[in-house]
Amino acid sequence: MGGKVTCTLGEVKNRADFIVYWGGNPAECHPRHFTKYTLMQKSKFLPRGRKDRTVVLVDIRETKSAKAADHFLQVRPGKDFELLTILRALIKDQKVSEEQVAETGLSLEVLKDLIEKMKAAKFGVMFFGMGLSMTRGKHMNAAALLTLAAEMNAFTKFVAMPMRGHGNVTGADVIMRWQTGYPFGISLNRGYPRYNPGEFSTVDVLVRGDTDCAFIIGADPGATMPKPAIDHLAKVPTIVLDPHVTHTSRLSRVHITTAPAGIAAPGTGYRMDEVPMPLKPALQSPYPSDEEVVRRIRETIALRPDWMTNQPQMIEAQI
Amino acid sequence: MELKVIENATCTFCGCVCDDIELHADDVRIHQAKKACVLGKSWFLNHTAEKKYPDALIDGQPASLDEAIEVAANHLYEADMPLVYGMSNTTCEAQKECVAMADLLGALLDSHTSL
Amino acid sequence: MLRITGGTIYDPANGINGEVRDLYIADGKFSSKFDAGRTIDATGMVIMPGGVDVHTHVAGGSINFGRARTPEDHRRTHAFIRSKTRRSGLGGMAPTTFATGYLYAGMGWTTVNEAAVPVLSARHTHEELNDIPIVDKSSLVLLANNEIILDLLEEGEDERAKQIMAWYIWAAKSYGVKAVNPGGVASWKYGNDSKHLTSKISGYDHITPGTIVTKYAKMIDELGIPHPLHLHCNNLGAPGNVETTLETMRHLEGSRAHFAHLQYHAYGGDDWGNMRSEAARLAEYFNAHTNMTTDAGAVLFGDTVTITADGPWQHLLYKLTGRKWGNLDVENETGCGIVPYTYRPSNLVNAVQWAVGLELLLLINDPWRVFLSTDHPNGACFWRYPEIIQLLMCADYRNECMANLPLNIKNKISLPEISREYTLYEIATITSAGPARSLGLKHKGNLGIGKDADLVIYHQDKDIARMFGHPRYVFKGGEIVIEEGDIRETPDGKEYLIQPFYEPDIDEFLRPRFEDRYCMSFENYPVEMERIEHAQIQKCTGDDAEDGDSQ
Ligand code: SF4
Repeated sequence: MGGKVTCTLGEVKNRADFIVYWGGNPAECHPRHFTKYTLMQKSKFLPRGRKDRTVVLVDIRETKSAKAADHFLQVRPGKDFELLTILRALIKDQKVSEEQVAETGLSLEVLKDLIEKMKAAKFGVMFFGMGLSMTRGKHMNAAALLTLAAEMNAFTKFVAMPMRGHGNVTGADVIMRWQTGYPFGISLNRGYPRYNPGEFSTVDVLVRGDTDCAFIIGADPGATMPKPAIDHLAKVPTIVLDPHVTHTSRLSRVHITTAPAGIAAPGTGYRMDEVPMPLKPALQSPYPSDEEVVRRIRETIALRPDWMTNQPQMIEAQI
Repeated sequence: MELKVIENATCTFCGCVCDDIELHADDVRIHQAKKACVLGKSWFLNHTAEKKYPDALIDGQPASLDEAIEVAANHLYEADMPLVYGMSNTTCEAQKECVAMADLLGALLDSHTSL
Repeated sequence: MLRITGGTIYDPANGINGEVRDLYIADGKFSSKFDAGRTIDATGMVIMPGGVDVHTHVAGGSINFGRARTPEDHRRTHAFIRSKTRRSGLGGMAPTTFATGYLYAGMGWTTVNEAAVPVLSARHTHEELNDIPIVDKSSLVLLANNEIILDLLEEGEDERAKQIMAWYIWAAKSYGVKAVNPGGVASWKYGNDSKHLTSKISGYDHITPGTIVTKYAKMIDELGIPHPLHLHCNNLGAPGNVETTLETMRHLEGSRAHFAHLQYHAYGGDDWGNMRSEAARLAEYFNAHTNMTTDAGAVLFGDTVTITADGPWQHLLYKLTGRKWGNLDVENETGCGIVPYTYRPSNLVNAVQWAVGLELLLLINDPWRVFLSTDHPNGACFWRYPEIIQLLMCADYRNECMANLPLNIKNKISLPEISREYTLYEIATITSAGPARSLGLKHKGNLGIGKDADLVIYHQDKDIARMFGHPRYVFKGGEIVIEEGDIRETPDGKEYLIQPFYEPDIDEFLRPRFEDRYCMSFENYPVEMERIEHAQIQKCTGDDAEDGDSQ
């Protein structure tokens, strides 16, 4: 059971009278989220704007975003999954013991009040951030929240959406899905896409030392990844495309300076709700765009003899 | 000097991807990013069209773009298990090129999302 | 130049029914002359115009949402291995874009119509369409729950509504208008539905689904759009919904209309236990009213993923099956729901659905008005079309399949009484000539001189599914793309769109309403022309001049 029930941000702007932020700090990380999409907007259905909306923040600590919320629920670190599961039980009027609730750092009374408000909403939305999806439980937490939102539809309209972080990571997700079927964590080494996040995700690959050449674009893992991963990047030939000479550039064999996307390179970027936006560069860069450089590298590789020959065109069943 | 005005420009610094930014720019830098938040402003204002870095670096030494493309292609072609990673701060058009290149190479392909 | 000799030709657009003739091809079109070049001997083989799919979901936010929801299917399905000139891909319930092109061309289909595009993410749809190789493409924009247009109809501003419709089509770089559950999706955004043509639409007082369908059909005719209103009726999938469908058809007398996936709208009974086929009743009405075309939306048993812009129906399916549910509402415009689904012959409801699709195809007597579709991926995946052709051409095979249905299906379906078998000529009509005509693509589905040289050559084979699943050759634009199952070339397809007329001042009228509803800039909303690869603008109005000039 479960699923993903979501919408575009304009739906939130037009209709959401109940807004939950879970494990995110939009005030500091997505500064215009409140004003442009959620809290402050007035609409045909919510003519008084902020006054017509109830806002709840769930997080492990009181961030700046708490000030903007009507209710702040401080969950004990690492207890998101438990709290979500309790809420799922409570909406269905199942019994939950006081002790179980107490473990989450909240009281049954507070949760019952929350459930009541959620059910009374006309259109509820739950945004979840890295604080939920990147801590203990990881994708299990996100799945529990998505399920809670889906199940709320037995009572009223409810949707959920991840607060995607930096830049155009949503675009990468969307494109990989239509071209390979999978959003990330892909291996193409058999000539067709295979997906296995634990096995093929970059940190795991680097820590295991399972790659002998890394091509890094639009990211700086040399500044953010665990040390064993960075050590491996320094050991193998690493190629970096970036507008700046980054930490990763410094440990790479090849760095190519490119025009910054959206500032000096045109194209498309996807919003967190998967709506594509045109980019309108204001500057003309002395450097080529990422697109041009990657294309030229690919074309150069394509001139060499193909490493994979005598393959069937298609296989019926994957091994 | 007359500043060029770009209306409804798009900021991709965070997932909000605000597309209502008004940019005032000369040939080298953006002087104003109206409607952008603090993060967006500093993102727009910190990039310039100056030539701050060499076109490319090979083993830490300045090199031409053509040389760098050749060497990069060589490393990738010679590798048994190349990895194509990142794709956050770039355009969809570049991302498509990355997936095409990974397909040709038989590479591992991954984004920020897997972190 | 190229010559194909000795083949037996089925070309319904030109009334050619199984005659042995030679075909000449020059510059991607059929030609009357042949001077020199390759000759292909098609003696003993069957030649038809390349297939045209009038209703499918292959590109854009919804199918891509479907791909995200079905990784377990990707890993068991067939995989296309990349070559030096060809991208890799995965088939299955929601194939990747590259695989979509290979699979369609692989069975001889050369044109596809993506039937559901929200304007807000039309850029995304076009990017995916650009990545579907070989076949030509068109797309329909979802407008029947567009609140800006509905508001205008509510205010009685019909003329303005028409202008806005034209504006939206051009903004989306689309080819026509799709209406999904008119008014019902707008109500869904409040958690309600509008099931009948007289139902209330949440948030509106003066308009009903009935108002929307009649006015939309009229506006589309007045704008001279080549393809009529493409309608997914209210009350999809529910027992007893045949009444809604007939009511809709009566509303549309005097207008052109295309009824999408009619199978899902042809049920009697009043609950899941007594649901029965009403295909015969629907076909009788349909046969008598020539203003309409339809596609079958046939169902085949097996796994698939259902994806529609009909949010309320998807929520119902989720409740019925308890399987994963995805839903995506798009501001001001539409919504979409996604549920993986398995059609089982042992399940009475599924068995009725299977029969209804075939009954409609067999009981509608004019093959120029009923087309082959499965509403991919909803009823079955498009790459299973050859199985449906076999069911249509062989009554014995049909009877064999019927033996697997539950015993209590008796009296619920009329398929056992139908003995009709499709001819090859009729198959060429429902898979190519008919849908091309309905779409207004005059140079498609036609082997005449000057038309696009898209054709398929089959071995004669008693095993019909094998024959249609494994063409000997497929030509797209005069080029051999498939030869005995091998993908030879993967040229880019063209994309068809229209530019209906609207007053230029409509922009200023629309802007404040737009800014009220949406959260992206008005200027950034329309898809730029440069984003459409190989765009072909087709003419509107009744202009008979040849279209298809490159822009
Ligand atoms: S302006 Fe601020 S909120 Fe908007 S995309 Fe840029 S960083 Fe994010």
